[in-house]
Amino acid sequence: MHLWKTMPFLLIILSLLPAFVMAIFARWKREVCPYLAIGSIAFSFAVSCLLAFRVMGGETIHYHVSDWLPPWGIEIFIDELAVMMLLLLTGCFLLITIFSIKALPKEIPPLATGWYYTLLLLTLTAMMGMVVTNDLFNMYVMVEVTGIGACALVVAKGEKLSTEATLRYLMLSSLGAGFFLFGIGFLYQITGNLNIPYVATELARVREQYPFLLWATMSFITVGLGVKAALFPLHIWLPDAHSSAPSSSSAILSGLVVKVYIVSMLRIYFMVFGFEVFHETYMRYLILFLATLAIIGGSFFAFVQLELKRRLAYSTVAQIGYIFLGFGLGTVWGITAALLHIIIHAFMKTCLFLSAGAIYYQTGRKKVTHFSGLGYQMPVTMAAFTIASLSMVGIPLFGGFITKYALAMGSLEANNPYFIILIVISGLLNAAYYFPIIWQAYFTSGHDVKLKMDLVPLTMLIPIVIMALGIIYMGIFPGGPLSFLEKAVTRFVF
Amino acid sequence: MDDYITRIVFRYILLFILMYGFYIVLHGHLSPGGGFAGGMILGMGMLLYFLIFGLQWKAKLRTLPMDAGIVLIGFGAILEGVKFLLPHEHGPVGMPGTLFSVGIISVVNFAIGLLVASAILNIFYLLVEEE
Amino acid sequence: MKVSLLLANYPYVIAVILFCLGCLCILTQHNLIKKVIGINIMQTGIFLFYIAVGNINGGVAPIYDPNLPEGVLYINPLPSALILTGIVVSFSVTAFALAVIVKLYNYYGTVNAPDIMRMR
Repeated sequence: MHLWKTMPFLLIILSLLPAFVMAIFARWKREVCPYLAIGSIAFSFAVSCLLAFRVMGGETIHYHVSDWLPPWGIEIFIDELAVMMLLLLTGCFLLITIFSIKALPKEIPPLATGWYYTLLLLTLTAMMGMVVTNDLFNMYVMVEVTGIGACALVVAKGEKLSTEATLRYLMLSSLGAGFFLFGIGFLYQITGNLNIPYVATELARVREQYPFLLWATMSFITVGLGVKAALFPLHIWLPDAHSSAPSSSSAILSGLVVKVYIVSMLRIYFMVFGFEVFHETYMRYLILFLATLAIIGGSFFAFVQLELKRRLAYSTVAQIGYIFLGFGLGTVWGITAALLHIIIHAFMKTCLFLSAGAIYYQTGRKKVTHFSGLGYQMPVTMAAFTIASLSMVGIPLFGGFITKYALAMGSLEANNPYFIILIVISGLLNAAYYFPIIWQAYFTSGHDVKLKMDLVPLTMLIPIVIMALGIIYMGIFPGGPLSFLEKAVTRFVF
Repeated sequence: MDDYITRIVFRYILLFILMYGFYIVLHGHLSPGGGFAGGMILGMGMLLYFLIFGLQWKAKLRTLPMDAGIVLIGFGAILEGVKFLLPHEHGPVGMPGTLFSVGIISVVNFAIGLLVASAILNIFYLLVEEE
Repeated sequence: MKVSLLLANYPYVIAVILFCLGCLCILTQHNLIKKVIGINIMQTGIFLFYIAVGNINGGVAPIYDPNLPEGVLYINPLPSALILTGIVVSFSVTAFALAVIVKLYNYYGTVNAPDIMRMR
């Protein structure tokens, strides 16, 4: 019974503990590390499933760490949004870790393979903590730990380029964390609380007295988390860091890490400031403007890149723009579309980056111009790649179409139908930089056109295939996830 | 830094540094300071030792403090984690204002001090030893 | 009148000045070590802000002491506790950044950012 009650806390602690046990194994028995990590992440996934089961029954879970009651202690609060993120994080991490058993030794120096899993678990723990916490300062600590863990995942490759990218990432992300901390300081000064519901009630009472301070707080938090989530003009660290990392790290960074900050931002905007302030202060127009720039600019930048992983990284900038677009529309459909795009983009980008890793594993090719005949050399990987690209463009029957549809509904709901044009244009731009790769892989004749099976190990193929199947599932049966997300949105919007 | 003056001065100063560190760790609940600050001082004292004498050691022996540090970090973290898992269990509480007056919090402070000191040593070793 | 208001709240002013200096230092300095120092200056400004929020003029350290007279004011301990966590985080960020810089120095033989960009 006690164990049942402390389950949310055990979720955090029991994935933190193996991270440090791993540090001992990393020096003695390096071969054991991946399996230990997989066991730990599978346990987290199971606990998340249990929590999801409880939350779907209509219950929201509050847990007070070491029994300090809310205004003073740290509170863990799990609602539909948190459960969705927990399932996404642990599920994707499980697949990526299975992928990296065989892929990792080829990409990073052998000394680092043990430590890599420590960092992996640490990043996972910090991200889960950021999602479930209900305390602003605790959120800051988790943001900072995630930042360090993500930087360390990039530097694990140990090459010149990745080290340099890491330093830039670290500088900008600690700058962003500083801005975020200052924003929390303003909130604490105004309200005298750090627990999100208490801050919200106090803020609703006194916010007429501090119009400028409120505005400053919002801009500080937007800039702080915007740097971390790579909102368009603040994205300059992203392409280098994401393209020079090992491919499993790229999948984690691009698919999951940048999203978690957006979820934190969503929580702060809608649970602390409230819906009216978001509409009054014109912050949403800034977000809409930057999201538009991100969608157009990210696509154009991606178009001129010749290295596959760099192209995928710039594509991430554009897709972050979609999420911010839905977020800035500020309607139920818009925010639902943003959350749905978080899930689907995690699937798509993980699938694409893992395929890029598998292609590099078998053939050593990195440039998009060298892909001719690849569709016959590694059919399974390229099929998954094709599915993810089609979904990225927004062809019906794939997941990406559903978010584009939901975004269009959201922009109609917000009386802003111009964004539909933007969505269509960006779909065409996506097609312009994904279809040449597929065309080259299948329709330009290489040296041999005999169909053979991929030579990559099964542990690398299975995660890619599962991701691709997930995209198709989301495209054909979007009803269940959509209604769940709508429940999550209505909980904190109205 | 194998120098005559540093060695002689250090010989006299080390005990004071360590004593001051332990003082701050153990009086964390009575005066400003506590586990982190005291642990920092302890770590700096030991760091001074390894800066002056440590580089004379054999390379194999030099990784020993690092392994010990990892184990100590885990030990300290577990002791600190106990605080979260036992809600409102303070242990025996004595006279307020004396050294033994807060039960488990002293233990937790001590664990934090241990953790911080070994973390500092570890960071130093990772910076120096890695090629 | 405005000036007197600023003078009365001088810790906030200093905190903001430190924050801005730190940001400037991160964004404009070429030397990587100086960038790390900039991070630390920025975070010091934030910590000063938090401590100033928690402070009470004439308050004492928030430790229960039976010898103190009745009615003495304790300062708010929560911001200090938060800042202790913040210091730990900033310490680890600094350590990690220095480790990365050592690695870069091994590769390029310099810690000057434009030189590194040129050598790429």
